[in-house]
Amino acid sequence: MSAGPYGALLDAVRGVRWPAARRVTGATLGAHPSQLRGNSSEFSEFRPYRQGDDPRRVDWRLLARSDRAYVRLTTDRATLRTTMIVDASASMAFPEPGLDKWRLARELTVGLASVAHSEADPVGLTIAGRQPLVLAPRARRSVILEMIRALDQTTPAGTSELEPLVTRARATRMVIITDLLGDAAAMLSAIRLRIAARVEVIVVHIVAEQEMEPPPGTLLAVDPERTTTRRILDGPMRAAYHASFTGWMHETSASLTAAGARYVRALTSEPASHAVRRIADGSARRGA
Amino acid sequence: MIFLAPWALAIAGLSALGLVALHLVARQRPAVFLLPTTRFVPDQRTLVSRVAARPRDLLLLALRVLVVLAAGAAFAQPVLMPAHGGMARVVLIDRSRDASSADEAFERLRGILGQAVPTSIIVFDSIPSAILPTSLDSAMRAPRSGAVGSLSAALVAARRAGATLAEHADSLQLILVSPLARRELDSATMRIRDEWPGAIRVSRSALRVDSSFAWRLEHELAMEDPLGPSVAAMRPARGEQVTRLIRRAPVATDSAFVRHGGTVVRWDSSSATGAAPEGLVAGGDVVVAVLGRRAIASGTARARWADGTPAATERRIGAGCLREVGVAMPVAGDLALHARFQRIVRELLRPCGTLPVDTPADSGVILRLVGASTNAAPAAAMRQEKERSSTLARWLLVLAMVFGLAELAVRARHEGAVT
Repeated sequence: MSAGPYGALLDAVRGVRWPAARRVTGATLGAHPSQLRGNSSEFSEFRPYRQGDDPRRVDWRLLARSDRAYVRLTTDRATLRTTMIVDASASMAFPEPGLDKWRLARELTVGLASVAHSEADPVGLTIAGRQPLVLAPRARRSVILEMIRALDQTTPAGTSELEPLVTRARATRMVIITDLLGDAAAMLSAIRLRIAARVEVIVVHIVAEQEMEPPPGTLLAVDPERTTTRRILDGPMRAAYHASFTGWMHETSASLTAAGARYVRALTSEPASHAVRRIADGSARRGA
Repeated sequence: MIFLAPWALAIAGLSALGLVALHLVARQRPAVFLLPTTRFVPDQRTLVSRVAARPRDLLLLALRVLVVLAAGAAFAQPVLMPAHGGMARVVLIDRSRDASSADEAFERLRGILGQAVPTSIIVFDSIPSAILPTSLDSAMRAPRSGAVGSLSAALVAARRAGATLAEHADSLQLILVSPLARRELDSATMRIRDEWPGAIRVSRSALRVDSSFAWRLEHELAMEDPLGPSVAAMRPARGEQVTRLIRRAPVATDSAFVRHGGTVVRWDSSSATGAAPEGLVAGGDVVVAVLGRRAIASGTARARWADGTPAATERRIGAGCLREVGVAMPVAGDLALHARFQRIVRELLRPCGTLPVDTPADSGVILRLVGASTNAAPAAAMRQEKERSSTLARWLLVLAMVFGLAELAVRARHEGAVT
């Protein structure tokens, strides 16, 4: 199976680095700086010898020159277990017929997974649909194609709860791609717990252009997940809607940021490769 | 086809117009837009009022109008009517004992039946019986009934015959040929008459005059005889028939008188013991008074006590008859002055073989019989209840339900398209 329509995207994100936001704790040799300092060949610094240090790490040449004992420190590198949690509820199937939100969510998932995989990180996928689908993080070569297949076979529908999936996900870096129109409050609580457990959480908020600026005229807006929610959207209501929606986005962003997560808003008008680079670069700056 | 409740159809029509107006003026639902962020739109209203140039949802409107019209037509009770033939006629002919000769009634009927109008003829005395116009001659020549006529029974029969005739007529005329004797009416007559929804054309025949009415009474009552006032109140008459009232046991001359065709009424004057409140029934009258009973010979009962025991009997002897009255009059009291008792006395003194003759009904009663209206009865009001309920109404109701279900389905599809 080939990457199909994702080929251009994968080409565009080739070479993008997506470093961890903080030193990782993994023991497997990878691309991300580890909290551990050991015997790798990547020199970091000298430190005066302290009782208990391994005598084999004493730099004998420096000792001979300075008559003082220094220990040679090196930086270890490790892999970062990354999982992508994708919201596949009915609200992601918008706007019809292109389903731009779902398209962008899929492309971001594949792009970010590809970037992580290129750094030898194990990547996994959780699709939060009617029947949640979980692909455990793997580093094997076919994992990206498996993710593409799973995403292409999914049609967003119904309602989904992200909170239990966030709680159960086995990863050190977690990317939640959602429109935050589901169980956002419960998910925020779960995110706080995961961050406390030193998990890097990135929330990618998918926003459609038509959500920001609905079509003109008088419309009967119907919530696709709760069809009983019906509102008239006309001239006087538009301004109120816009203010309410924008305020909610700011409030959600602030809540997530305060919780320690990284909030990234992605508009459907933005090319997926740009968004991938933004997310990766942002992590790099935070890591720096 | 006629509608028994046309107001329901009118209401349905107005409702249909209202529906059309509602679809024109109604608050219309704007175009649906599936928006995941609908929750951020202030919750105010979901409908927009505006006047449209032409009704929206034409299919729904058509189905709703059809539901209303079909239901309205069903409640209007449509009846498919066969071709009617104008007027029909019910003729009641009194052949009771109070009616005059058959010739008179027959002549009256000839003029009526000469017109080509469907007619139902009912001959009645105490029992009504329908006859065919072709058998009218033989019916009228049959011996006259001795029974008292019952106008109530006749009117009930006329109502039934009218219901049958109403199937093929627009209006019904009821003609009553009767002397309208007082006793032919009872307490139910006027209620039954009100069941006939039109005027009754009354053709009064002569009340029968019995030739034996003129009879004489021979008596030898003393001045203080308690029967005296009652006998004195009887109209003096002259006639060949004679009734002899005796207050003693009959003697040989009385027997001879009876054998030659006279009537002897033995009403002993001796007082009976054990007088008590009693009810005495004779003819059509009842009187309750303190009376004594006296043993009498057996025979045909002419009067009875309230318990059914004969109070007066008569026996045929030769060409005449001997009548015995076992009623002991009280010496004191005003019983003899009471009109009802006087009629009983007259009934008991009447010669054998004669019939009592009644008086005609009051003019007020006759006017009530005729009725306030001068119109014939409408046939629609005469038809029987079971024939009023038409199966067409049921089918229309079923049709309305089908349209209603279709409307629900179309609306559900419409709602489905919305969601």
